[in-house]
Amino acid sequence: MRKKSFYVSMVLSAALFFMPFLSIAQEKPIIIGAPLATAFLYGWDAERGIKLAIDEINAAGGVNVGGKKRPFKAEVIDTRDLEPAVPVADALLAMEKLILDKNADFIVGGPVRSEAALAAMDLLRKHKKISILTTGALTPAYGKRIAENGDKYKYCFRNSSHVPVMMGDFMAILNDLQKDHKFNKAYIMVQDVAHARAGGEYMQKALKEKNWETELKIYPTGTTDYSVGLIDSGKKGAQVLFLWMDMPESAALLQQWSNMKLKSLPMGFMNAAEQPGFWKATGGKGEYMIVNLVNGGNAPAKITPWTMKFVEAYKKKWGLEPEGYGTSSSYMAVYQLKDAIERAKTTDPDVVVAALESQDLMGVYGRMRFDKKTHQIIPSWDPAEGAVTGIIQWQAGKRVQVFPPKAAEGKILFPPWMK
Amino acid sequence: MEIIVYGVINSVILSLMALGFTLVYSIARMPNFAHGALYITTGYLAWLFMNSFMSLPYPVAVVLAIGITAAIGALIYRFVMIRIRGMEISEIIATYAIGLAILEGLRWGGLRGMTFTLPPFIAGSTTILGVSVDYQRLVIVGIGLATFAALYLFTHFNRVGLALRGIAQDERAAMMLGIDSDMTAIISLALGSGLAGLAAILLLPLGNIIVEVGYNVLIFAIAVSVIGGLGSWAGTILASFIIGFAQILTEAFLSSHYQMVVALLAIIITLLIKPSGIFGKQKELEERV
Repeated sequence: MRKKSFYVSMVLSAALFFMPFLSIAQEKPIIIGAPLATAFLYGWDAERGIKLAIDEINAAGGVNVGGKKRPFKAEVIDTRDLEPAVPVADALLAMEKLILDKNADFIVGGPVRSEAALAAMDLLRKHKKISILTTGALTPAYGKRIAENGDKYKYCFRNSSHVPVMMGDFMAILNDLQKDHKFNKAYIMVQDVAHARAGGEYMQKALKEKNWETELKIYPTGTTDYSVGLIDSGKKGAQVLFLWMDMPESAALLQQWSNMKLKSLPMGFMNAAEQPGFWKATGGKGEYMIVNLVNGGNAPAKITPWTMKFVEAYKKKWGLEPEGYGTSSSYMAVYQLKDAIERAKTTDPDVVVAALESQDLMGVYGRMRFDKKTHQIIPSWDPAEGAVTGIIQWQAGKRVQVFPPKAAEGKILFPPWMK
Repeated sequence: MEIIVYGVINSVILSLMALGFTLVYSIARMPNFAHGALYITTGYLAWLFMNSFMSLPYPVAVVLAIGITAAIGALIYRFVMIRIRGMEISEIIATYAIGLAILEGLRWGGLRGMTFTLPPFIAGSTTILGVSVDYQRLVIVGIGLATFAALYLFTHFNRVGLALRGIAQDERAAMMLGIDSDMTAIISLALGSGLAGLAAILLLPLGNIIVEVGYNVLIFAIAVSVIGGLGSWAGTILASFIIGFAQILTEAFLSSHYQMVVALLAIIITLLIKPSGIFGKQKELEERV
């Protein structure tokens, strides 16, 4: 009799223990569709960020949708939109497949190329799918279109930054360099793609207004030899090399800059210099490069209490530090959706839109609030006020956050040959 | 002065990219559109041998990688090209398809991102004629010139090399003298692939091992070969110097982003003025007939 009651109590305890998990597993998952260029950094790091957030949320019980706990599920599709010669239409087809075939409830991530992200806005409107753009696209036109056609594009949000904000961050650094070190000559080297050309031209204009002498050089994608331009920058006495490139070959530029011992400080938006593996790949030649990682948390830093928790969780799951632009924002987008769905108590897109618009969440890279007009994350240099950028400098093999001052972990260092 | 120094370096780089492609065409009359893929394969193999569980020393990894690429070239002929030899369109389609499969296969298999690199043979830089140049570029020029010389000696003083030249000059006459046409084609594919591999080992330390580079190398190899005259070694070297200097002059006096335009414009101008290329003969022979 005692033996029988022991077994009954064991079975009951096990049932009670597994009950919550069974109920989550039985509930229909909320599908997050992630259209990403998975062969590129901005695609695979976003995928990892999304999957990490989903794992954490599901392990903690899932999303509370009006009293029912539902798990998240990721459906990732390769848009290939960062590959050369792949038309925008391919990315749209991939996204439509996510919506129609994979029954995605929400979209997080891309499309990654700005042109594709803009083209996808009509698709999101047609299917009434909320999208949080987290990676790749940096065009200010995204928020502008939402502001001009509020009702039409109300399902589109972006929790990462865009070019004018990034330029403002760079200008703040350059103004300090001008004030503290009397720098006034910049040599701008950019890749021959739309966002980089626009960034270079914008920077040239902004620097000229601040009385800097500037020179702009545009390089075709795939260039591996920058010697003529670099020698020219040395002749012109450039103190700053401003770079804007997303091609892997740009690492060669820094190798040449280091070999030539040019008396200039390299900085900019450089995809190759974002990843943790950059140091090893360049044999340390990329030291002193200042890189804009677009959002905080894409490299270790103590921006908010959540930042290092995220960094450690990412390292534990994927075996390396958060890699670059798209990592922290994609991770946060899943939490932003969770928060909005829970407050809306439904997955109905129109109700969730309102919940996202009124959201105020302390995240990995600061306070997360969407601008009601542009649906763009509100930026700030103070994490208590808004989303902060992640501008780092490579120092002795580490990515050290150097801007904004309230989130900085170190000061900007200069190469010894500049003295 | 930097125009002269970097003009020479750029020209040697272009000749190295195109040498293997030209060699295969000159001997086997086969346009090897898998050339760029073989280039990247060598780089990736060398990286793999150095960084995987094998952790081979750099020189061993390099030799092994070039050897495997040469073997892949020979196998491509032995199992694919031998069946379609002489059918030019099929040859182009088949080699391009093989190249595409290799490159996209590498991408699918994990060759993504910017962290795949090969170290330079010698780190650091020096000054030549008042211009700063890194040692790796000097190594490229040195080994590049040595390769041209070695190829010249091989094809003029070695039995196998002479056989290759014999086939290139007149295949039927050479066959009547007992030279095996298929064997020379296998050797030429192996040698051409090996040269693509050598170029990769020399040039990839300047950048990264990425799939897109394979496509770029193929474009430059074709541009140089078309301008120089398909199958002409002297033409390849001359065309490399024309494009190489034109690119550097464009960067110095016009704008750096016209560099690729210069190469493609040179092809169009050459085809308009001299359809066979600078030292090419096939079109002229056709016209004479």
